[in-house]
Amino acid sequence: MVKKISKNFGSFQALDSVSFEMNKGDIVGLLGKNGAGKTTLMRILTSFITPSSGMVKIDGEDISKHSLSIRQKIGYLPEKPPLYGDMTVQYYLNFAAEIKGVPKNKRLFQLAKVLEECDLEQVKQKTIATLSKGYKQRVGIAQAIIHEPKLLILDEPTSGLDPMQIQQVLALIKNQRDQRTVLLSTHTLTEIEQVAQRVLMIKSGRIVLDDPLEALLKGEGSTQSQPLTLEQVFINHHQPQASENTTQTPEKTEHQEVSHE
Amino acid sequence: MNKIFALTKKELYSFFNSPIAYIILIVMLSLFNIFFFLIIDQNREVSLRDVFQLMEFMLVFFIPLLTMRLFSEEKSNGTMEFLLTAPLTHTMIVLGKYFSMLIFFTLLIFLTLIYFLIVEYFGEPDPSSMLFGYLGIWLEGAFFIAVGLLASSWTSNQIIAAMVSYLILFSLYFASSFTQYVSGFAEHFLIQLSTHTHLENFAIGIITPSDVVYYLVGILLCLVLTRLSIDNRLWH
Repeated sequence: MVKKISKNFGSFQALDSVSFEMNKGDIVGLLGKNGAGKTTLMRILTSFITPSSGMVKIDGEDISKHSLSIRQKIGYLPEKPPLYGDMTVQYYLNFAAEIKGVPKNKRLFQLAKVLEECDLEQVKQKTIATLSKGYKQRVGIAQAIIHEPKLLILDEPTSGLDPMQIQQVLALIKNQRDQRTVLLSTHTLTEIEQVAQRVLMIKSGRIVLDDPLEALLKGEGSTQSQPLTLEQVFINHHQPQASENTTQTPEKTEHQEVSHE
Repeated sequence: MNKIFALTKKELYSFFNSPIAYIILIVMLSLFNIFFFLIIDQNREVSLRDVFQLMEFMLVFFIPLLTMRLFSEEKSNGTMEFLLTAPLTHTMIVLGKYFSMLIFFTLLIFLTLIYFLIVEYFGEPDPSSMLFGYLGIWLEGAFFIAVGLLASSWTSNQIIAAMVSYLILFSLYFASSFTQYVSGFAEHFLIQLSTHTHLENFAIGIITPSDVVYYLVGILLCLVLTRLSIDNRLWH
């Protein structure tokens, strides 16, 4: 649960009273233009940065008081996969398992599991620096899930990949649905349509939309009452002149934020 | 403790996976060997006192090369975010990295124990004074590594990290050279601040509590400041 989170960097307000909730097993797509505050929000959820105000609770624990135990429950793939180019895939994932507290007797099992799940078996002995971008991204996802986190946070996991690699990564994300909650940020709206059940849209640091994907695509809540594409929804929310025809009025968003508290 | 060990292992793996570790080991040992031979040949003494003092000067040059990458590289590669979002405390990260370089440095010093054996073979030196000298040089290296780690935590640029380390280490090393320009408390302070002053006692086989405390406080202070630097993300 994210409750009225704000974050200021000097005089710049990156997040402004952001509130939302995620339920177990949700795959939530986080949308927004560059600089809207998506990465800042994700970094707050992972304890990388602290909010200026507000509260984050994950699995019932307050992040400001139980940061260490919450980080144990989170898997995170930043926009740039955090990889050590000089390590082999296997060494790196084993290191990730060690620092994420996977018990020694379960480490081999977990390693084999993520190697299979992320289709990395054939490159496990290779040095990470020699891998293609698609493989590197999958290694990044593998490190994020090796400790069986309850919440998986992925910041633009398909950025810079070719169409085949994108489909592989999306399939991998889709497979997480039964095991954990996923928060996924991307600029590619069709990817959200493929994997997400819910859409959060962030604009200038504020949540302007928080709806189930299915309802959005059916045009529910829209004055047009006709099926929409996610692209139309996105454009509606980012064109001030079209705001009156949006799928959801700002008043409704405010109401939703209150209801989440 | 297991997580600190994992971090230490990872640092050593990366270090020995690159040519840097071997180059530094070979260059440092070669220089130590050359100077050991020259000093022993010139002094004709069964003592390593001058060898230790020369080693100290060389450590000022080499330690920043060992430590400059510790945090700077993590930041520039984007892996600092990986460490800071993992279930690790900042103290674990600092200690994991510190211990890795301490282990490498201990290996380096261990390899120079041959000097002790050579002197022991050809003469009748005072073994305790030589072992105290080794202890002194080890403590000094441990202190220099802590300084280098701190400098590395301030920037994402390895060159800047090395330069800042040089500035601090040279200031500490040469502090006693400026005593002729001051007097009273300032003079005493500069003498006590200088690493040279404290190693000198070890090198002649004397251990005083103040010398040991100097190094231990220096190490602790640098590690605490590094931890604070990570807490406050000073490199941003």
